Amino acid sequence: MDLEQERGIFRFPFKFPTSAGIRRLCVYFSGILYAVGFWLFLDAVIYSKHANASDVHVTFVDWIPFLCSTFGTMIVNSIEKNRLLQGALSSGSGITSLGGDSLDSSVAWQARVVLFFGFALLAGGLSGSIVVLIIKFLVKNYNTYPTVGMGINNVLGNFCIVLSCIVLWIAQNMEDEYSYSLTL
Amino acid sequence: MDLKVSPLTKIISLSGFLALGFLLVILSCALFHNYYPLFDILIFLLAPIPNSLFSKSNLDNADFMSDSPSNAQDFGSFLTGLLATSGIALPVVFYHCQLIGLMSCVMSILGGLIIYSSIVVFSWFFHSSWEHEEDALFG
Repeated sequence: MDLEQERGIFRFPFKFPTSAGIRRLCVYFSGILYAVGFWLFLDAVIYSKHANASDVHVTFVDWIPFLCSTFGTMIVNSIEKNRLLQGALSSGSGITSLGGDSLDSSVAWQARVVLFFGFALLAGGLSGSIVVLIIKFLVKNYNTYPTVGMGINNVLGNFCIVLSCIVLWIAQNMEDEYSYSLTL
Repeated sequence: MDLKVSPLTKIISLSGFLALGFLLVILSCALFHNYYPLFDILIFLLAPIPNSLFSKSNLDNADFMSDSPSNAQDFGSFLTGLLATSGIALPVVFYHCQLIGLMSCVMSILGGLIIYSSIVVFSWFFHSSWEHEEDALFG
């Protein structure tokens, strides 16, 4: 109890959410964003199959940006964050030990390359969906809403997936800082 | 708030609640002769599974010095958020694509939410009662 009171000067009638709780909420939120993106895209697909009055249909070309963003999300979030951190620490500190340091830095390089591929896939998915919207819909003068909605849903869905990946990344890095302060 | 409710009453009322959810979803299909909303039941039944699986496994290897303490739990909660939102989004998307009517959409969303909440409340009740029993056992 004394420790609790020493920690802050002010007392609040409510508890501040803990770091782990915020992190958990962020992870839930990113799952929700991913589902929203997925269903926005799937809405375009089902709409094109069942309720489409125009002669534009969703084909495999529209699926490519979505697949790119999904693979990017998987790659970015399956990287072990400690590898990146380890590499940054070993290259940041001036002490170079024999053998172990070169191994660390090579692993960190691999992690950075994979991370770059992941983010490139994410950005490629988002820009690819915009390209599909412009080339397939806007250039051919499909400007009225129910038709152009298929392209816009694609862009919005990919945007939501990128946003979900960013939220998940931030949540995991937040946890890292927390455990970092614990270990230091 | 020390309301004493016997576990049997909890089970009976929750099962009634769950049956109400199933009734709503099945009615939303059968009234309109359109069985697309049945997928909603499947999604909402799948939704609590990842959280229960991964939180258990996290308890087992709760290690202070482990590198990634709750990656599995993260994955579980990510999947939970994804599935719960999918369950709500599925009837809305079907409604937008004119596969089902507005009435059917609302009924299947309500029924799905009732099913999901009754499952969550069930695990919540009996998780806490198990803890109490353990307390009574060891205390």
